[in-house]
Amino acid sequence: YFMITLLSGVSYVAKTPDSLLRSRVYCKLTMSWFKSVSVSGEDVFDENGDELNLQSKEWTSNMKKRIKDGYVEGVDAGEEASLQAGFNQGFREGVAQTAAVGRLKGIVSAISCWCQIERPENPVPASVTDLLQLVTQHEDRVVDSIKRALENPPPSVSDVSESMEDLEVEAGPGCGGEECKETDCCQRAESMDWDTRQKPQKLRSRSADCSSGSGLSLLLQRCVDVATELRLPQELIAHMQELKSFQ
Amino acid sequence: HAHLMWVFSRFRGEGFQEGFERGTRRGLQDGRRHGASHGAKLSSEISFYYGFAITWKCLLQHNTDLKSRKRVKALETLLGLIQNCPLDDPQSVNLQESTEKLRAKFRQVCSMLSVPTDFKDYIKTAEGTSF
Repeated sequence: YFMITLLSGVSYVAKTPDSLLRSRVYCKLTMSWFKSVSVSGEDVFDENGDELNLQSKEWTSNMKKRIKDGYVEGVDAGEEASLQAGFNQGFREGVAQTAAVGRLKGIVSAISCWCQIERPENPVPASVTDLLQLVTQHEDRVVDSIKRALENPPPSVSDVSESMEDLEVEAGPGCGGEECKETDCCQRAESMDWDTRQKPQKLRSRSADCSSGSGLSLLLQRCVDVATELRLPQELIAHMQELKSFQ
Repeated sequence: HAHLMWVFSRFRGEGFQEGFERGTRRGLQDGRRHGASHGAKLSSEISFYYGFAITWKCLLQHNTDLKSRKRVKALETLLGLIQNCPLDDPQSVNLQESTEKLRAKFRQVCSMLSVPTDFKDYIKTAEGTSF
Protein backbone atom coordinates (compact mmCIF):
# COMPACT_ATOMS: atom_id res chain seq x y z
CA TYR A 1 0.00 0.00 0.00
CA PHE A 2 1.13 3.53 -0.42
CA MET A 3 -0.23 6.76 0.85
CA ILE A 4 -0.69 9.93 -1.07
CA THR A 5 -1.41 13.17 0.67
CA LEU A 6 -3.40 15.52 -1.50
CA LEU A 7 -2.60 19.18 -1.55
CA SER A 8 -5.67 19.77 0.51
CA GLY A 9 -4.16 17.61 3.22
CA VAL A 10 -6.54 14.67 2.77
CA SER A 11 -4.75 11.35 2.75
CA TYR A 12 -5.63 8.55 0.45
CA VAL A 13 -4.42 5.02 0.78
CA ALA A 14 -4.17 3.03 -2.35
CA LYS A 15 -3.17 -0.50 -2.96
CA THR A 16 -0.33 -0.77 -5.36
CA PRO A 17 -1.10 -3.65 -7.66
CA ASP A 18 1.63 -6.27 -7.62
CA SER A 19 2.03 -5.89 -11.32
CA LEU A 20 2.80 -2.21 -10.93
CA LEU A 21 5.23 -2.82 -8.11
CA ARG A 22 7.00 -5.41 -10.19
CA SER A 23 7.17 -3.16 -13.18
CA ARG A 24 10.53 -1.84 -14.05
CA VAL A 25 8.90 1.34 -15.13
CA TYR A 26 7.71 2.02 -11.60
CA CYS A 27 11.22 1.53 -10.29
CA LYS A 28 12.73 3.64 -13.02
CA LEU A 29 10.35 6.46 -12.23
CA THR A 30 11.18 6.37 -8.56
CA MET A 31 14.88 6.31 -9.35
CA SER A 32 14.69 9.15 -11.83
CA TRP A 33 12.80 11.22 -9.30
CA PHE A 34 15.57 10.71 -6.79
CA LYS A 35 18.20 11.52 -9.39
CA SER A 36 16.54 14.70 -10.54
CA VAL A 37 16.06 16.12 -7.09
CA SER A 38 19.60 15.43 -6.01
CA VAL A 39 21.06 17.05 -9.14
CA SER A 40 18.98 20.16 -8.71
CA GLY A 41 20.96 20.97 -5.63
CA GLU A 42 17.89 22.10 -3.80
CA ASP A 43 17.22 21.00 -0.36
CA VAL A 44 14.55 18.46 -1.06
CA PHE A 45 13.41 17.98 2.42
CA ASP A 46 12.66 20.81 4.75
CA GLU A 47 13.63 20.64 8.37
CA ASN A 48 10.59 18.58 9.17
CA GLY A 49 11.36 16.21 6.31
CA ASP A 50 7.88 15.89 4.88
CA GLU A 51 7.63 18.55 2.17
CA LEU A 52 8.09 17.50 -1.43
CA ASN A 53 9.63 19.76 -4.01
CA LEU A 54 7.99 20.86 -7.24
CA GLN A 55 9.24 18.10 -9.57
CA SER A 56 8.16 15.38 -7.26
CA LYS A 57 4.84 17.11 -6.72
CA GLU A 58 4.22 16.87 -10.45
CA TRP A 59 4.91 13.17 -10.39
CA THR A 60 2.75 12.73 -7.37
CA SER A 61 -0.06 14.69 -8.95
CA ASN A 62 -0.02 12.38 -11.97
CA MET A 63 -0.28 9.40 -9.68
CA LYS A 64 -3.04 11.02 -7.65
CA LYS A 65 -4.97 11.73 -10.80
CA ARG A 66 -4.75 8.11 -11.77
CA ILE A 67 -5.90 6.94 -8.40
CA LYS A 68 -8.76 9.45 -8.28
CA ASP A 69 -9.87 8.40 -11.70
CA GLY A 70 -10.01 4.86 -10.46
CA TYR A 71 -7.44 3.56 -12.90
CA VAL A 72 -5.48 1.53 -10.40
CA GLU A 73 -8.65 0.13 -8.92
CA GLY A 74 -9.79 -0.69 -12.40
CA VAL A 75 -6.65 -2.66 -13.13
CA ASP A 76 -7.09 -4.67 -9.94
CA ALA A 77 -10.73 -5.36 -10.63
CA GLY A 78 -10.02 -6.36 -14.20
CA GLU A 79 -7.28 -8.75 -13.18
CA GLU A 80 -9.40 -10.37 -10.53
CA ALA A 81 -12.30 -10.79 -12.88
CA SER A 82 -10.29 -12.43 -15.65
CA LEU A 83 -7.64 -14.51 -13.88
CA GLN A 84 -9.79 -17.61 -13.49
CA ALA A 85 -11.04 -17.44 -17.07
CA GLY A 86 -7.46 -17.16 -18.27
CA PHE A 87 -6.42 -20.07 -16.09
CA ASN A 88 -9.21 -22.27 -17.41
CA GLN A 89 -8.32 -21.52 -20.99
CA GLY A 90 -4.62 -22.12 -20.43
CA PHE A 91 -5.31 -25.31 -18.51
CA ARG A 92 -7.19 -26.86 -21.42
CA GLU A 93 -4.46 -25.81 -23.81
CA GLY A 94 -1.77 -27.30 -21.59
CA VAL A 95 -3.69 -30.55 -21.24
CA ALA A 96 -3.82 -30.87 -25.02
CA GLN A 97 -0.10 -30.22 -25.36
CA THR A 98 1.05 -33.26 -23.40
CA ALA A 99 -1.77 -35.76 -23.90
CA ALA A 100 -0.27 -37.64 -26.85
CA VAL A 101 3.35 -37.66 -25.73
CA GLY A 102 2.36 -38.61 -22.17
CA ARG A 103 0.36 -41.54 -23.43
CA LEU A 104 3.20 -42.63 -25.71
CA LYS A 105 5.60 -42.53 -22.79
CA GLY A 106 3.25 -44.78 -20.83
CA ILE A 107 3.08 -47.25 -23.70
CA VAL A 108 6.83 -47.44 -24.18
CA SER A 109 7.45 -47.70 -20.44
CA ALA A 110 5.01 -50.59 -20.22
CA ILE A 111 6.74 -52.34 -23.10
CA SER A 112 10.07 -51.89 -21.33
CA CYS A 113 8.64 -53.36 -18.12
CA TRP A 114 7.14 -56.25 -20.01
CA CYS A 115 10.51 -57.04 -21.58
CA GLN A 116 12.16 -57.08 -18.17
CA ILE A 117 9.53 -59.35 -16.69
CA GLU A 118 9.04 -61.72 -19.63
CA ARG A 119 12.72 -62.11 -20.44
CA PRO A 120 14.57 -61.38 -17.24
CA GLU A 121 17.72 -63.07 -18.52
CA ASN A 122 18.00 -60.66 -21.45
CA PRO A 123 18.61 -56.93 -21.24
CA VAL A 124 15.79 -54.72 -22.47
CA PRO A 125 16.31 -54.16 -26.21
CA ALA A 126 18.18 -50.98 -27.06
CA SER A 127 15.41 -49.99 -29.45
CA VAL A 128 13.06 -49.79 -26.49
CA THR A 129 15.34 -47.95 -24.06
CA ASP A 130 16.46 -45.51 -26.75
CA LEU A 131 12.88 -44.80 -27.71
CA LEU A 132 11.87 -44.25 -24.10
CA GLN A 133 14.67 -41.75 -23.68
CA LEU A 134 13.67 -39.85 -26.83
CA VAL A 135 10.03 -39.72 -25.83
CA THR A 136 10.96 -38.48 -22.36
CA GLN A 137 13.15 -35.78 -23.84
CA HIS A 138 10.41 -34.67 -26.21
CA GLU A 139 7.97 -34.37 -23.36
CA ASP A 140 10.43 -32.49 -21.18
CA ARG A 141 10.95 -29.97 -23.96
CA VAL A 142 7.25 -29.36 -24.25
CA VAL A 143 6.76 -28.92 -20.49
CA ASP A 144 9.89 -26.77 -20.14
CA SER A 145 8.87 -24.35 -22.83
CA ILE A 146 5.52 -23.83 -21.16
CA LYS A 147 7.22 -23.28 -17.79
CA ARG A 148 9.76 -20.88 -19.26
CA ALA A 149 7.04 -18.68 -20.62
CA LEU A 150 5.56 -18.74 -17.13
CA GLU A 151 8.66 -17.82 -15.14
CA ASN A 152 10.05 -15.07 -17.30
CA PRO A 153 7.26 -13.47 -19.17
CA PRO A 154 9.13 -10.89 -21.18
CA PRO A 155 7.56 -7.44 -21.14
CA SER A 156 6.43 -6.83 -24.66
CA VAL A 157 7.44 -3.54 -26.19
CA SER A 158 3.86 -2.37 -26.18
CA ASP A 159 3.56 -3.31 -22.53
CA VAL A 160 6.42 -1.07 -21.48
CA SER A 161 5.42 1.93 -23.53
CA GLU A 162 1.84 1.57 -22.34
CA SER A 163 2.97 1.67 -18.72
CA MET A 164 4.85 4.85 -19.44
CA GLU A 165 1.87 6.43 -21.10
CA ASP A 166 -0.35 5.51 -18.21
CA LEU A 167 1.90 7.36 -15.84
CA GLU A 168 2.18 10.30 -18.20
CA VAL A 169 5.91 10.27 -18.23
CA GLU A 170 8.02 11.24 -21.18
CA ALA A 171 9.19 8.06 -22.81
CA GLY A 172 12.78 7.47 -21.91
CA PRO A 173 14.95 4.98 -23.76
CA GLY A 174 12.66 2.13 -24.62
CA CYS A 175 13.36 -1.56 -24.90
CA GLY A 176 16.53 -2.25 -26.74
CA GLY A 177 17.94 1.11 -25.75
CA GLU A 178 21.03 1.51 -23.66
CA GLU A 179 19.14 1.15 -20.43
CA CYS A 180 17.49 -2.07 -21.42
CA LYS A 181 19.49 -4.76 -19.70
CA GLU A 182 17.55 -7.67 -21.15
CA THR A 183 19.17 -7.61 -24.52
CA ASP A 184 16.87 -10.11 -26.08
CA CYS A 185 13.68 -9.05 -24.33
CA CYS A 186 12.12 -7.63 -27.46
CA GLN A 187 13.05 -10.65 -29.49
CA ARG A 188 11.62 -12.99 -26.90
CA ALA A 189 8.45 -11.00 -26.69
CA GLU A 190 7.94 -11.37 -30.39
CA SER A 191 8.80 -15.01 -30.63
CA MET A 192 6.46 -16.03 -27.84
CA ASP A 193 3.53 -13.70 -27.95
CA TRP A 194 1.27 -14.11 -24.97
CA ASP A 195 -0.43 -10.79 -25.49
CA THR A 196 -4.10 -11.46 -25.86
CA ARG A 197 -4.73 -8.11 -27.47
CA GLN A 198 -3.38 -9.54 -30.64
CA LYS A 199 -5.13 -12.40 -32.30
CA PRO A 200 -5.33 -15.11 -29.67
CA GLN A 201 -2.79 -17.62 -30.84
CA LYS A 202 -3.02 -21.31 -30.50
CA LEU A 203 -0.66 -22.27 -27.72
CA ARG A 204 2.59 -23.48 -29.21
CA SER A 205 5.76 -24.47 -27.50
CA ARG A 206 9.07 -23.48 -29.03
CA SER A 207 10.24 -27.04 -29.33
CA ALA A 208 6.97 -27.86 -30.99
CA ASP A 209 7.84 -25.30 -33.65
CA CYS A 210 11.08 -27.06 -34.53
CA SER A 211 9.98 -30.66 -34.26
CA SER A 212 6.24 -30.08 -33.99
CA GLY A 213 3.86 -32.83 -35.00
CA SER A 214 6.56 -34.34 -37.17
CA GLY A 215 8.75 -35.04 -34.13
CA LEU A 216 5.98 -36.91 -32.40
CA SER A 217 4.98 -38.73 -35.59
CA LEU A 218 8.51 -40.03 -35.95
CA LEU A 219 8.46 -41.28 -32.37
CA LEU A 220 5.09 -42.91 -32.96
CA GLN A 221 6.41 -44.68 -36.03
CA ARG A 222 9.40 -45.95 -34.12
CA CYS A 223 7.07 -47.22 -31.45
CA VAL A 224 5.03 -49.14 -34.01
CA ASP A 225 8.26 -50.58 -35.43
CA VAL A 226 9.35 -51.72 -31.98
CA ALA A 227 6.00 -53.35 -31.28
CA THR A 228 6.15 -55.13 -34.63
CA GLU A 229 9.71 -56.28 -34.00
CA LEU A 230 8.68 -57.67 -30.59
CA ARG A 231 5.52 -59.23 -32.07
CA LEU A 232 3.21 -57.46 -29.69
CA PRO A 233 -0.56 -57.76 -30.11
CA GLN A 234 -2.11 -56.00 -33.11
CA GLU A 235 -4.62 -54.34 -30.82
CA LEU A 236 -1.77 -52.53 -29.08
CA ILE A 237 -0.41 -51.31 -32.39
CA ALA A 238 -3.87 -49.99 -33.19
CA HIS A 239 -3.81 -47.95 -29.95
CA MET A 240 -0.49 -46.44 -31.02
CA GLN A 241 -1.89 -45.50 -34.42
CA GLU A 242 -4.76 -43.78 -32.65
CA LEU A 243 -2.30 -41.25 -31.25
CA LYS A 244 -1.66 -39.84 -34.69
CA SER A 245 -5.05 -38.20 -34.68
CA PHE A 246 -4.49 -36.43 -31.34
CA GLN A 247 -4.65 -32.63 -31.29
CA HIS B 1 -18.19 -7.40 -18.18
CA ALA B 2 -20.27 -4.63 -19.72
CA HIS B 3 -22.76 -4.57 -16.85
CA LEU B 4 -20.01 -4.51 -14.23
CA MET B 5 -18.28 -1.68 -15.98
CA TRP B 6 -21.47 0.37 -16.13
CA VAL B 7 -22.01 -0.07 -12.41
CA PHE B 8 -18.44 0.86 -11.59
CA SER B 9 -18.11 3.77 -13.95
CA ARG B 10 -21.15 5.49 -12.56
CA PHE B 11 -19.42 5.90 -9.25
CA ARG B 12 -15.82 6.15 -10.33
CA GLY B 13 -13.78 8.13 -12.78
CA GLU B 14 -13.12 7.35 -16.42
CA GLY B 15 -9.81 5.90 -15.42
CA PHE B 16 -11.57 2.90 -13.97
CA GLN B 17 -12.80 1.61 -17.30
CA GLU B 18 -9.41 2.04 -18.91
CA GLY B 19 -7.75 0.35 -16.00
CA PHE B 20 -10.30 -2.44 -16.05
CA GLU B 21 -9.54 -3.21 -19.68
CA ARG B 22 -5.85 -3.20 -18.98
CA GLY B 23 -6.23 -5.42 -15.95
CA THR B 24 -8.45 -7.81 -17.83
CA ARG B 25 -5.81 -8.34 -20.51
CA ARG B 26 -3.14 -8.87 -17.92
CA GLY B 27 -5.27 -11.25 -15.88
CA LEU B 28 -6.05 -13.34 -18.94
CA GLN B 29 -2.37 -13.51 -19.87
CA ASP B 30 -1.15 -14.42 -16.41
CA GLY B 31 -3.95 -16.88 -15.81
CA ARG B 32 -3.37 -18.54 -19.13
CA ARG B 33 0.30 -19.07 -18.42
CA HIS B 34 -0.34 -20.61 -15.02
CA GLY B 35 -3.17 -22.75 -16.33
CA ALA B 36 -1.06 -24.09 -19.18
CA SER B 37 1.68 -25.22 -16.85
CA HIS B 38 -0.70 -27.00 -14.52
CA GLY B 39 -2.71 -28.59 -17.29
CA ALA B 40 0.37 -29.84 -19.09
CA LYS B 41 1.81 -31.50 -16.02
CA LEU B 42 -1.39 -33.17 -14.95
CA SER B 43 -2.20 -34.35 -18.45
CA SER B 44 1.32 -35.73 -18.83
CA GLU B 45 0.92 -37.81 -15.70
CA ILE B 46 -2.60 -39.10 -16.35
CA SER B 47 -1.94 -39.82 -20.01
CA PHE B 48 1.11 -41.80 -18.93
CA TYR B 49 -1.05 -43.97 -16.69
CA TYR B 50 -3.46 -44.51 -19.56
CA GLY B 51 -0.79 -45.56 -22.04
CA PHE B 52 0.76 -47.82 -19.46
CA ALA B 53 -2.51 -49.48 -18.55
CA ILE B 54 -3.81 -49.96 -22.07
CA THR B 55 -0.53 -51.62 -23.06
CA TRP B 56 -0.59 -54.07 -20.20
CA LYS B 57 -4.22 -54.84 -20.85
CA CYS B 58 -3.42 -55.72 -24.46
CA LEU B 59 -0.53 -57.87 -23.34
CA LEU B 60 -2.47 -59.82 -20.70
CA GLN B 61 -6.06 -60.02 -21.86
CA HIS B 62 -5.71 -63.24 -23.82
CA ASN B 63 -4.14 -65.09 -20.92
CA THR B 64 -6.49 -67.44 -19.15
CA ASP B 65 -4.70 -67.89 -15.81
CA LEU B 66 -6.21 -66.44 -12.67
CA LYS B 67 -3.32 -64.06 -11.96
CA SER B 68 -3.63 -62.49 -15.40
CA ARG B 69 -7.39 -62.16 -15.09
CA LYS B 70 -7.06 -60.36 -11.76
CA ARG B 71 -4.50 -58.03 -13.24
CA VAL B 72 -6.67 -57.28 -16.25
CA LYS B 73 -9.57 -56.47 -13.97
CA ALA B 74 -7.45 -54.01 -12.00
CA LEU B 75 -6.21 -52.46 -15.24
CA GLU B 76 -9.78 -52.01 -16.46
CA THR B 77 -10.71 -50.31 -13.21
CA LEU B 78 -7.77 -47.95 -13.61
CA LEU B 79 -8.73 -47.18 -17.19
CA GLY B 80 -12.26 -46.44 -16.05
CA LEU B 81 -11.04 -44.05 -13.39
CA ILE B 82 -8.91 -42.25 -15.96
CA GLN B 83 -11.77 -41.91 -18.40
CA ASN B 84 -13.98 -40.39 -15.69
CA CYS B 85 -11.36 -37.92 -14.57
CA PRO B 86 -12.65 -34.40 -15.37
CA LEU B 87 -9.50 -33.10 -17.03
CA ASP B 88 -11.51 -30.83 -19.27
CA ASP B 89 -12.90 -28.95 -16.29
CA PRO B 90 -10.14 -27.33 -14.22
CA GLN B 91 -12.66 -25.96 -11.75
CA SER B 92 -14.34 -29.29 -11.12
CA VAL B 93 -14.65 -30.11 -7.44
CA ASN B 94 -13.96 -33.74 -8.33
CA LEU B 95 -10.67 -33.22 -10.10
CA GLN B 96 -8.47 -33.37 -6.99
CA GLU B 97 -10.18 -36.41 -5.53
CA SER B 98 -10.34 -38.19 -8.85
CA THR B 99 -6.64 -37.64 -9.45
CA GLU B 100 -5.66 -38.97 -6.04
CA LYS B 101 -7.83 -42.03 -6.51
CA LEU B 102 -6.29 -42.91 -9.81
CA ARG B 103 -2.77 -42.39 -8.51
CA ALA B 104 -3.46 -44.85 -5.74
CA LYS B 105 -4.91 -47.31 -8.22
CA PHE B 106 -1.88 -46.97 -10.45
CA ARG B 107 0.45 -47.78 -7.57
CA GLN B 108 -1.63 -50.84 -6.76
CA VAL B 109 -1.52 -51.99 -10.37
CA CYS B 110 2.25 -51.57 -10.47
CA SER B 111 2.76 -53.72 -7.43
CA MET B 112 0.38 -56.35 -8.86
CA LEU B 113 2.44 -56.38 -12.03
CA SER B 114 5.67 -56.51 -10.02
CA VAL B 115 7.02 -53.55 -11.88
CA PRO B 116 10.79 -53.51 -11.41
CA THR B 117 12.07 -50.76 -9.14
CA ASP B 118 14.51 -49.10 -11.50
CA PHE B 119 11.68 -48.32 -13.85
CA LYS B 120 10.09 -46.10 -11.27
CA ASP B 121 12.52 -43.32 -12.08
CA TYR B 122 10.36 -42.65 -15.10
CA ILE B 123 7.25 -42.10 -13.11
CA LYS B 124 6.92 -38.68 -11.65
CA THR B 125 3.75 -37.51 -10.07
CA ALA B 126 2.53 -34.00 -10.64
CA GLU B 127 4.04 -33.09 -7.27
CA GLY B 128 7.40 -33.76 -8.77
CA THR B 129 8.34 -36.61 -6.48
CA SER B 130 9.48 -39.87 -7.98
CA PHE B 131 7.09 -42.71 -7.46
